[in-house]
Amino acid sequence: MLKLHGISAGYGGTEIIRNVSLEVNKGEVVTIVGANGAGKTTTLRTICGIVKPESGSIEFEGRKLDGLRSDEIVTAGITMVPEGRQLFPHISVRDNLLMGAYKRSARSMANQRMDEVLQIFPRVRERLAQMAGSLSGGEQQMVAIARGLMANPTLLMFDEPSLGLSPLLMSQVFDVIDQIVELGTTVLIVEQNIVHTLKIADRGYVLENGEITMTGTGQELLDNPHIRKAYLGI
Amino acid sequence: MNIFNPRVYVTLMALSLLLLIPMGVGSPFIYHIFILLCTFAALATAWNIVGGFAGQLSLGHAVFYGIGSYAAILLLMRFQISPWIGMMVGAVLSTVVSVIVSYPCFRLRGPFFALATIAVLEVVRLVAIHQTGLTGGAAGLAAPLNIGWQWMMFREKWIYLLIAFGFLLLTLLVSWRIKNSRLGYYLVAVREREDAARAVGINPVKVKLIAVMVSAFFTSLVGSFQAMYLTFIDPGSVFSLELSIQVAMFALIGGLGTVFGPLVGTVLVLPIAELARGWLSNVGNGFHGLVYGVVLVAVVLTIPKGLVGRFGVSFSRWVDSLPGGKRTDDSADIVSHHAWVPATKPAGIKGEVILSAINLNLHFGGLHATNNVSIALNEGEILGLIGPNGAGKTTVFNQLSGFLQPHSGEIKVRQSNGQWVMPRTPEEFARAGIGRTFQIAQPFADLSVLENIMLGAFMHTSSSAEASVLARKVAQLTDLSGMLDTRARNLTVGGMKRLEMARALATQPRVLLLDEVLAGLNPADVSKAVATIRRVRDSGVSVLMIEHIMQAVMQLSDRIVVINSGSVLCEGAPNEVMTDSRVIEAYLGKDYVHA
Amino acid sequence: MEIFIQLVVNGLLLGGILAIISIGLTLIFGIVRVVNFAHGEFLMIGMYAVYLMHQHLGLHPYVASVFAVIFLFVAGALMQRFVIQPLLTADPHIQIFATVGVSTALLNLALLLFGADVFSVRLNDFTSSTIKLGSITIVSAQLITFCVALALIVGLHWFLHNTFLGRAVRATAQHRYAAQLMGVNVERIYILAFGLGCACLGLASGLLLPQYPVFPTIGSFFVLTAFVIVVLGGLGSLSGAFLGSLIIGLVDSLSGYYIAPDLKEVIYFLIFIGILVFRPTGLLGLGRGSE
Repeated sequence: MLKLHGISAGYGGTEIIRNVSLEVNKGEVVTIVGANGAGKTTTLRTICGIVKPESGSIEFEGRKLDGLRSDEIVTAGITMVPEGRQLFPHISVRDNLLMGAYKRSARSMANQRMDEVLQIFPRVRERLAQMAGSLSGGEQQMVAIARGLMANPTLLMFDEPSLGLSPLLMSQVFDVIDQIVELGTTVLIVEQNIVHTLKIADRGYVLENGEITMTGTGQELLDNPHIRKAYLGI
Repeated sequence: MNIFNPRVYVTLMALSLLLLIPMGVGSPFIYHIFILLCTFAALATAWNIVGGFAGQLSLGHAVFYGIGSYAAILLLMRFQISPWIGMMVGAVLSTVVSVIVSYPCFRLRGPFFALATIAVLEVVRLVAIHQTGLTGGAAGLAAPLNIGWQWMMFREKWIYLLIAFGFLLLTLLVSWRIKNSRLGYYLVAVREREDAARAVGINPVKVKLIAVMVSAFFTSLVGSFQAMYLTFIDPGSVFSLELSIQVAMFALIGGLGTVFGPLVGTVLVLPIAELARGWLSNVGNGFHGLVYGVVLVAVVLTIPKGLVGRFGVSFSRWVDSLPGGKRTDDSADIVSHHAWVPATKPAGIKGEVILSAINLNLHFGGLHATNNVSIALNEGEILGLIGPNGAGKTTVFNQLSGFLQPHSGEIKVRQSNGQWVMPRTPEEFARAGIGRTFQIAQPFADLSVLENIMLGAFMHTSSSAEASVLARKVAQLTDLSGMLDTRARNLTVGGMKRLEMARALATQPRVLLLDEVLAGLNPADVSKAVATIRRVRDSGVSVLMIEHIMQAVMQLSDRIVVINSGSVLCEGAPNEVMTDSRVIEAYLGKDYVHA
Repeated sequence: MEIFIQLVVNGLLLGGILAIISIGLTLIFGIVRVVNFAHGEFLMIGMYAVYLMHQHLGLHPYVASVFAVIFLFVAGALMQRFVIQPLLTADPHIQIFATVGVSTALLNLALLLFGADVFSVRLNDFTSSTIKLGSITIVSAQLITFCVALALIVGLHWFLHNTFLGRAVRATAQHRYAAQLMGVNVERIYILAFGLGCACLGLASGLLLPQYPVFPTIGSFFVLTAFVIVVLGGLGSLSGAFLGSLIIGLVDSLSGYYIAPDLKEVIYFLIFIGILVFRPTGLLGLGRGSE
């Protein structure tokens, strides 16, 4: 469904990712693991159109994505739940969610979709009228994920969903991700806490210093000692 | 100054045209234009010290112009004091006013600072109109007509021209001296990246205040002269927003932050506008103002760096190719072949604590970002600070370098004489011997590599020559000697990171804080950087580094501290720490240990 | 006492006029984050446009203001697209120079085309009639303006809170990056915002013409006051702009009578400087744009 061929990209002329090729097939859960600075966020941003690739191509459901504007890519069906939540702080939770359904095809169904999404996030339903900035870190993360779902995306990408959360909240977030996966959404996750993601992932890629160094099924990667080296240096 | 250097003789020739053309033509109208040229160019050059060098866009500079005008004329009218003295009084008064007005406004960002200066100008103008007793109100004041040098009034226009030219030369000289001095470098640094500037010990407020005072002084002098030349002043024409805008505009068109830019901008635009005003006055008022407005927008959209900013380098190269010109910089021959030696021998005893942080706590709203963190860095060691993303490592760093104040806890630094100091602001930390790099590299993009490093070196010397020598030595240590003249913005990631380190090292620190210097480097660059860090430590600098590239951390660190969720998780020798199950769990997840 | 109440009423009504002008300014700053130094000149060309339509087409200024709204919306959109957009990533001082340049050019263009003469419109209709409430006199035109200001605020508020586009505008103002992730075309939002901000001036020009004469510098006359209001109320806050307008209207009215007419501007510039230095977020602003 999503194919990256030889993508190189970076900021202001400096290359962060080099010759990255990967695939995500419909219904799969794919994860990208790697240490900080390896280029995981840059990869996701390139898929979203926030960063323009220097070379290579991106294909999604047969269409060329590289070169499209970020709003066109959202319309095409890809949504990212960004690192660090990035909610609209002085806007109510309800309006944050409605913003998730901004793309034209989602607008008319927005309220209905909100009902469906809130089934997964009962605690968010209680907070609809509050300013998003006043919620706790964990609640904000739930809102951010719910917001991502509002667009009913074909491909949902997560950038470090457990970042900065306590272990308890982390496991709640993973429970939610599990539910989303059960519902059949295709998911691409970048996550520091790799054990959980590798367990639910169908396949994974290892990104080191901007290049893909390994790929395999979730279980294969989990058993591989190279992962320890990539993260801990031993 | 070498008169045979083409830069010198071309400049002298060009400047002398300002005198020769009107004297050759002889018509009063041409004299008038050239006198205006000289005075406006002087005003623009003086304005540029604040607007260009310091980057504070003042649109209220006419305040100082007006104070100068009124001081000269009022003292002459009321007390028969010579305008030459009145000029000085006005200038001192303007300088004082500039401090009172600017100091509270410096923290305002760009457009708000401009708005505040406009508000000040308007207040002064309205008060001047209101206080008819003092200033003659809206009707204005006419200077008493006494001819003679003592009264700054002459029958012959060429004398006025000479004096105006003198002021122009004076402001150009002052501007040139500032640009090439430490103050000039400091102004650029504060303008471009205030945080990085503070990290090398610069006090931004002090530096900007000096710029404002110098600028106000000279603006006021010219205002006094102009008042005597025009012989009539009123609040509307001296405390004029239009004048402030024009002066700023000339500087922009020529090139903010350059010495000759304001002069070039004035020379190009003012004659066109004045001639338009003269020839096209039958078409209607406002043509010259329209010219100003359109030219300004056009310049901003096409060559925002101004004419000198954009074409200055190629022009200088052409000038250098004329007879007598030099191609290379003399001092490039001094390449020291000795390894870099710190200026002060480390008087401390190896192994003793040099930087101590005890029970640091910091809250961001509800988040306990730093939870009772204590770290001790020993002299001569490399301490690695690691932890998962979002754990709070950079927050700790920011506290250890003065960019954040902990809500409780103490940080102290041991000096070479054994005394402890407790710095508070980033400049104080820098001067206490703490050098640091930034996670997102903050080079001064338009300065060369050498100039960037010199900014660090200036902390211990005010001489550009000495700073340059020290900077070259540091460049050798960090493998940058081959690109001293490259603009910092053209460096690779690896180069920029080394530049960050070099600039911090040039402050001759006792402690170096490295924030992810290896991030984004390819493996070859990582090994080079590791070697550099070892050389740095061996030269007597203690190192505290945040890093994610674990192989490097293991190779370099004498000890490691692990931070997770704002607290210290564990510390000790690398092998112990990295095999500790809590650490593995923090990095890879709860179940990895058993997976 | 009666004088005091009349002054208060006058001040509040003046606040209505100032509000319409200031709302546009705060909208532009709150969303695009540019201080539009040419805001006053846009008002000025709006007033000239309304004047011309009145003189040559016989349209009542209130009717002409509809066309002025469209005209100024387009002008604002063009300014954003061709002057501001290329400079969005430039240093802020470059943006200042750009809008100052446009301001100077427009002002002098008006001077060239219309001369420095003062043009005013004498309408002997309902607009100049007065309403008496006890001993208080209210000029109809002022009351109408005040009501239009209220309607404008309510309308804008509804738009910003109840439509997808309006929500997108607020979202972009608060967090441009996240808005992009939601599929918002940020450049188009900026053009819309600038256009809307200037369109408010179109409304203001039709309402102002019966009460004030038009001449090239009338824009600067109002805009410095508008800046004071916007900073006082908090940049980006609509209700702050309204509140600020009422406060400044009162200050104008009361200090003009009790202190000295030619010093009233001094008072509000001093307020301006005070706010910038001591409370730069203003009374209701949240610093990073609220509505």
